[in-house]
Amino acid sequence: MKKVFVTLLFCLLIVGITFSAAAKTTTLTFWTFQELHQQFLEKEVARWNENNPDNQIALEATVYPYDQMHNKLLIALQSGVGAPDIADIEISKFANYLKGNTPQLVAFNDVVDPLMGQMIKARFDNYSKNGNYYGIPYHVGATVMYYNTELTDQAGVDIDDIVTWDDYVAAGQKVKAATGKPMTTVEVTEHWSLYPLISQIGSDIFAEDGSIILDNEKNERVLTFLDDLVHKYDIAIPTPGGFHHSEEYWAFMNDEGAASLMMPLWYMGRFVQYMPDLKGKMAIRPLPVWEEGGNRSAGMGGTGTVVTIQSDHKDLAKDFLVEAKLSVEASHKLWTELGFDPVRWEVWDDPVMSESNQYTDYFKNEDIFGMLLDIKDEINPTMITEQYPQAIDLLKKNVSFKVIKEQSETPAEALKEAADELRQ
Amino acid sequence: MSVKQVKLTVVVIILAFFAFFALAPFFFMLVSSFKPGDQIIKNGISARLDLDIMTFKNYKTLFTERNGIYLYWYKNSVLITTIQTAVAVFLSSLVGYGLAVYDFKGKNILFVLVLILMMVPIEILILPLYKLSITLKIIDTYAGVMLPFIVPPVAVFFFRQFAVGLPMELIDAARIDGASEFGIFFKIMMPLMKPAFGAMIILQAMFSWNAFVWPLIVLRSNENFTLPIGLASLITPYGNSYDMLFSGAVISVVPIIILFMFKQNSFISGLTVGGVKG
Amino acid sequence: MKSIKNFYQKFINSKKVAPYIFVSPFIIVFLVFYLYPIISTIIMSFQEIGFGEAEFIGLENYKKLFNVHYKNALLTSTNYTFWTILILVPLPILLAVLLNSDKTKFKNFFRSAIFMPALTSVIVAGMFFRYAFGEQASTLANSLIGLLGIGPITWLQDSIPAMIALVILCVWRWLGVNIIYFLSGLQGIPDAIYEAADIDGANSWDKFKYITIPSLKPVIIYVITISVFGGYKMFAESYAYWQTATPNDIGMTIVSYIYQTGFNNFNMGFASAIGITLLLIVLVVNLIQLNLFGLFKKED
Repeated sequence: MKKVFVTLLFCLLIVGITFSAAAKTTTLTFWTFQELHQQFLEKEVARWNENNPDNQIALEATVYPYDQMHNKLLIALQSGVGAPDIADIEISKFANYLKGNTPQLVAFNDVVDPLMGQMIKARFDNYSKNGNYYGIPYHVGATVMYYNTELTDQAGVDIDDIVTWDDYVAAGQKVKAATGKPMTTVEVTEHWSLYPLISQIGSDIFAEDGSIILDNEKNERVLTFLDDLVHKYDIAIPTPGGFHHSEEYWAFMNDEGAASLMMPLWYMGRFVQYMPDLKGKMAIRPLPVWEEGGNRSAGMGGTGTVVTIQSDHKDLAKDFLVEAKLSVEASHKLWTELGFDPVRWEVWDDPVMSESNQYTDYFKNEDIFGMLLDIKDEINPTMITEQYPQAIDLLKKNVSFKVIKEQSETPAEALKEAADELRQ
Repeated sequence: MSVKQVKLTVVVIILAFFAFFALAPFFFMLVSSFKPGDQIIKNGISARLDLDIMTFKNYKTLFTERNGIYLYWYKNSVLITTIQTAVAVFLSSLVGYGLAVYDFKGKNILFVLVLILMMVPIEILILPLYKLSITLKIIDTYAGVMLPFIVPPVAVFFFRQFAVGLPMELIDAARIDGASEFGIFFKIMMPLMKPAFGAMIILQAMFSWNAFVWPLIVLRSNENFTLPIGLASLITPYGNSYDMLFSGAVISVVPIIILFMFKQNSFISGLTVGGVKG
Repeated sequence: MKSIKNFYQKFINSKKVAPYIFVSPFIIVFLVFYLYPIISTIIMSFQEIGFGEAEFIGLENYKKLFNVHYKNALLTSTNYTFWTILILVPLPILLAVLLNSDKTKFKNFFRSAIFMPALTSVIVAGMFFRYAFGEQASTLANSLIGLLGIGPITWLQDSIPAMIALVILCVWRWLGVNIIYFLSGLQGIPDAIYEAADIDGANSWDKFKYITIPSLKPVIIYVITISVFGGYKMFAESYAYWQTATPNDIGMTIVSYIYQTGFNNFNMGFASAIGITLLLIVLVVNLIQLNLFGLFKKED
């Protein structure tokens, strides 16, 4: 890994030296909150420069803390000075940057529209307003179920027999009886347990016209189900640390804490990096369904890369991003290097996607992308409005927490309370 | 043991308890800084001395990662802290003294302004302050980090409180001897205010060293970052880079501790007595 | 030439002009860096802010203040301020007296040790504390209360334990700082006074009560004042434990609320309105407090 990087850097240097005399080099600034994204784009710049000797790019990337990067970008865009050419914006913050009538981001339609046939369009819709696409996604974020097969085997559960959530509960009860361990964990201070299920069942926070449907019956059913997993069936516990990215949770899982986990596919990287002890034990399967023939996944999370209107090189930045994140080569690398399910589904059955790499080595699946192709049409778009950041905030802070952790409100009450606050 | 000895022992025990409370986190950090990051994730932050897995690798990483960017952060923090502390303490001593010693028109209004400014949370001023800094062209510079906080109201208030207790008879006596107002301040009162200077130097240095919210907004380039910003960028919602985080934190504290241990006597104790009266 | 210089020197040294020169650095910084931002914040509190557009919406932002989150934040901040002052004034005075005594052993070591937390960034220290207050039985906080036969507790997801965790982090960080303030005050008390008291046969408690405390009054006023400010302004400690989303607002302070509405939800107008009310609240609390101590009376 490091060797590759050094070699690439070296190439970049050579290329730089060779062409510096003749070619023009444009500097693009890039802000992100994720060092892996920085490394990824830097490699993509090297590739771009090889292919475009007369239109070189120098990427000046800065990694900021997550919250602070978003604030800094907001302030720079609000005051009209100081924004970078390119920036990463996390999905739950994206709507802030599209507030009002004068978007501060550049629309990608001219470069993205021709490719849309090969893309999972729902992911672009997350970053769009009035039909304009303002962000380029890194991944689909298909939500899947991760099973610890050692524990399920011990309980005599065959994970391929789990088709519906009812099956899942039955399997969970077997696991609990045989191993004494919970089947899964439910997030109470983040939204990665509730929101994917809301999307999977065909509901959402907002209706298409932007009205609030958070307190509808489907959502109540979902939240009641999560609550029941913990308090009725007794096969789940509130996540140690509150959410699936806490140190407590990693320690808990390394210790074989729970038999399964529902998270998006990009969570694979966390397993590889933070839960080394589970290597060779985990298998990935589609989500159990609510009804026969129902959706088996939901697209969750993500980061849109944007070009700001303050950039002096908007067209170059756009062309570069499309090449660096949506081209066939880039899509391959998003998988092999970052463990992401690229939005260009057309590449999912390419041979390179099933070759062995650190991700396939870790998980027991032979064919992750075969499975993804299977469920690719079962991913609902999520509706995003100006209130989205506030809504996600409420899901994180109040809804699951009050119902499952504090047990101070019923699912219906908690959803109604949050919905009413959004309606104000 | 005499009663007196018992008393002294009790005192030491009380102090030892608080010293332990204060130092324990550092011990954990120190031990963790020698452990590989994935170990910390797996087993949590613990003070267990596990010699098999402890290495100096994190410290090496610190100075080699991203072309030794850590050293840039360090340099920036040291420079900003030194300059800002010196200037800020001097200027606020002038203002605090002025507010305490003289009667002049607008004094109370000014004092209330100091108090108001003290309590304005910087978080609500960020946006307009940023716009102002653009106009003043101090974005991404040391000046941009320091200038808005070059007369910290907290320090003004402290010096004012201290100077109120100074013996005013000395001032009158000096005036009769023909000393100028500034002569009185520099030659007579400043030496009397030494303990206040000691306390304020330490505290101002601490504030500058740990300043986070504003420097982060005003600084743009990686090489201009200060330590807290650099270290914070290692903490992400998607998992932290423990390898650099703990070693970086340890190294960031060490020199100030050494400085403090050597200098604290001249800072706090042993200095000329300035009379504080109620 | 010489007379001009003389005149100039006389001018700036005159008792009328000199005070203004002394306080001028503050006036300049205030005019250059704060006047515009403060006015601008007041204006923003009556506006709905977008990108490059701002619309006056009257008192809408202030009307929005009547919501449960604001109430929660106000309560959290007030509780926090109350408890930190209750602990962080008497305790450091006591420790400062112990550390100031010539008879105390190892006092240099103790002084440095207790001050050390102030030197660390709360970002990093917060990592440790967040972990120490983790919910498993094996974490530091739970092992300690385990010795007393209590627990384990999910510290950071319940309101009273969360407040305890906040106050402990605050005490850890600021104890040494307040000790420094009080030490610098103690240094200023002439030994002669104590010696005179000794001759009069005063015991330690009398000396503490009748000499030390009255002599420390200006410093105590100072520490209480900045603690009120600091308490209501607190954000870093809350951020260290929960970042910006505290479950059911248990650790959300007013400034966390400002931060959340202003930046996370990009509602700068509402955030400014919260900020203005914070300013007024703290101003009133402190003016009452300072008046009680008679700070605005002419001191002679």
